Amino acid sequence: MIKSWFIHGIRNGILTTKYPKTLPTTDEIPIKSIPPFGSKDSDWLKGKQICPTNAIEDQEKNVDFGKCIFCRRCSDTGFDFEDQNEMRNIALQAEGLLNIENRDKMHEDFKKKIMTFRKSLHILMIDVGSCNACNLEVLNLSNPYYDLTRLGIFFTNSPKHADVLVVVGALNYAMVEVLKRTYESMPNPKIVISIGACSISGGIFQDTESFVSPIHDVIPVDVTVPGCPPTPIQILEGLLLSMGKNNKQQTAEEKHNPPD
Amino acid sequence: MIPKFVEQRQIEEINGTIQISSIFEINGKSLAILTDIENSKTILSDMPLSLGEHVSLLLKEQTNIGVQTDLDIGSKVEGYGVFIFPYGPVSSGIPEAGGFKLITYGERIVKLIPQINFKKRGIERRVIGMKPEDALLLVERSAGNFSSSYSTCFITAVENILGLEIASSAKWIRAVAIELERIYNHLHVFGRLGEAASQNVATAQVNALKERVLRINAKYYGHRYLFGFNKIGGVNYGPFTTDERKGLVSAIKVIAKEFSNIVAFFLSSRIFLDRLQETAKLPKQDALNLGAVGPSARGSGIDMDDRLMYPIEPYNDIFIGIETDKEGDTMARTMVRIQEIASSTVILEQLLDRMPSDNINKPQLSSSNSSSSLPCNSDKDFSFCRIESPSGDLIHVVQLDAITGRIKFLHIRPPSLVNWLPLSKSLEGNVFTDFQFAFESFGLSYADSDR
Ligand code: SF4
Ligand code: SF4
Repeated sequence: MIKSWFIHGIRNGILTTKYPKTLPTTDEIPIKSIPPFGSKDSDWLKGKQICPTNAIEDQEKNVDFGKCIFCRRCSDTGFDFEDQNEMRNIALQAEGLLNIENRDKMHEDFKKKIMTFRKSLHILMIDVGSCNACNLEVLNLSNPYYDLTRLGIFFTNSPKHADVLVVVGALNYAMVEVLKRTYESMPNPKIVISIGACSISGGIFQDTESFVSPIHDVIPVDVTVPGCPPTPIQILEGLLLSMGKNNKQQTAEEKHNPPD
Repeated sequence: MIPKFVEQRQIEEINGTIQISSIFEINGKSLAILTDIENSKTILSDMPLSLGEHVSLLLKEQTNIGVQTDLDIGSKVEGYGVFIFPYGPVSSGIPEAGGFKLITYGERIVKLIPQINFKKRGIERRVIGMKPEDALLLVERSAGNFSSSYSTCFITAVENILGLEIASSAKWIRAVAIELERIYNHLHVFGRLGEAASQNVATAQVNALKERVLRINAKYYGHRYLFGFNKIGGVNYGPFTTDERKGLVSAIKVIAKEFSNIVAFFLSSRIFLDRLQETAKLPKQDALNLGAVGPSARGSGIDMDDRLMYPIEPYNDIFIGIETDKEGDTMARTMVRIQEIASSTVILEQLLDRMPSDNINKPQLSSSNSSSSLPCNSDKDFSFCRIESPSGDLIHVVQLDAITGRIKFLHIRPPSLVNWLPLSKSLEGNVFTDFQFAFESFGLSYADSDR
């Protein structure tokens, strides 16, 4: 029996992705999981009217990726993709430090925190009102294609053992207390990753009666991974950022004050 | 007594196998969608009189938002040594926000009370007043892993009202998506069962297969979970070229073949079989009474499948073999799912082989009611549709405002909602550790039942 599994495994070859050593492939991040990113002459105002989540902010080609549900409606009105590699780089931007107010202080904290987790990371997923797609994508991280354990990341079942709280879904009134208590019962230092448009901003559910607020209004969020749902690679990017393993990552400062 | 949350019940007075599948109130009138299981028929009717008094109760079940609901029916369990084991909403076994109260007496589960609505989003109320194409984005995100069933169900109902006769090829492409969705969901369920039985190596292989189906979804439909491929009056992807079709069929065939090899490994493992056989038995009569749908019903020997009961095109045109199993235990439900992966592969092959080649995105206004074999209301004020989602019968009832064309009423009857009570019934008397297997074998999703 064991021998036959061995042969089975050999026959299948190596399935695991090369990421983060190389950029992910089109298979790993399909075109619809890359944020809309406009070409120079796109007609943004038109996009603004049809955007279901008000993610398009102004004429200055700013898309709030935290709100965008990647529905690709606006791509009809002039978003196009030229450089595939560039696009994939854009797709990989888990954003650090969402809370703008005390960003500098938090950034210092965050830098300290991620030093602790360089070698291993235990994650706990909590669902606060998702559509189940985000949950499945987080679970998919443990399949042979992504193989979390090779990077020293493990799922855990108890908040007491968790370093990272992965939050998915649009915060529902019934889950506010649960979320707070889960967060509080985690030992310090702890990192919160908010995954998917729903948890970052409410996404498509932002106008439903049950939606309370974005997660970062309830507990401090360190990393956000936009997408609806983000692909496992994009989630992995967020996890690697919390391990300080991601050098490609822009710092929060650069993000908010881009060098000209 | 009709429990408040169960919409599907056998009505003994009419005939042994007529069930109420959905009850809704439209234009001040209570209507019911009935299912004739023996003849595989769907009937739209006024409210059966025998149910009259309970219905008001049922219709009053409002979407109580922000409060979780206990699906507690039947008698109270009390006594020395009985204790309540709360499970969820944050737990290792269920990766979703939902819970259970397991009432146990020693090792045995006396009663199981599912707790739902932790993540009720109130989609049905939210979409009122929205344009159908905007509502579609919400509807397909009600249950992410059943998204193509949801969007197809909703869109078909809307198109019925608008009198749009859409291209056959678009309908066939939707069916391909639904079958792909069935395959990856069944693989997911099987993987979860393997994980519960600690068959880690084999489970990793199953999960790899699931990942491959997801990548096929992304390749052909642009999205791993099939969001956004559907639009009113057509589809956004396709028609596939001959090469693409061949590639899709052969890829799925390889996956099905590898899966059958892995299943052979599983079925030769005594540990795995021990955990599944005789676990969480749901006898046929109970399944009928509680109104189980989908693979859970078929695992108990009930021959019901929406692809036969409400055959929208192309399901009226292709051969569908319904897999059933008489045993009613976890093994039976698993076997049904295993066989359905094979049968879906055959269906996919037929669909892609014989796909019509008309202009895919050219809907026409239908003058005559061409698909009149399906039951519908005469004045076309509202419409409904049933789709066999991976976990069973999904019903959408849609009403559009005649002047503005916006949504006036939406009723979703998700498959998971009606399967909670069969699950809790099946677990009565089982040991504590069987819970995980029973839960996974029903393939229920909280997102689906909480919509
Ligand atoms: S939500 Fe849709 S329309 Fe809005 S920015 Fe994102 S892709 Fe474009
Ligand atoms: S972000 Fe999108 S995929 Fe994730 S839970 Fe929300 S609706 Fe579902």
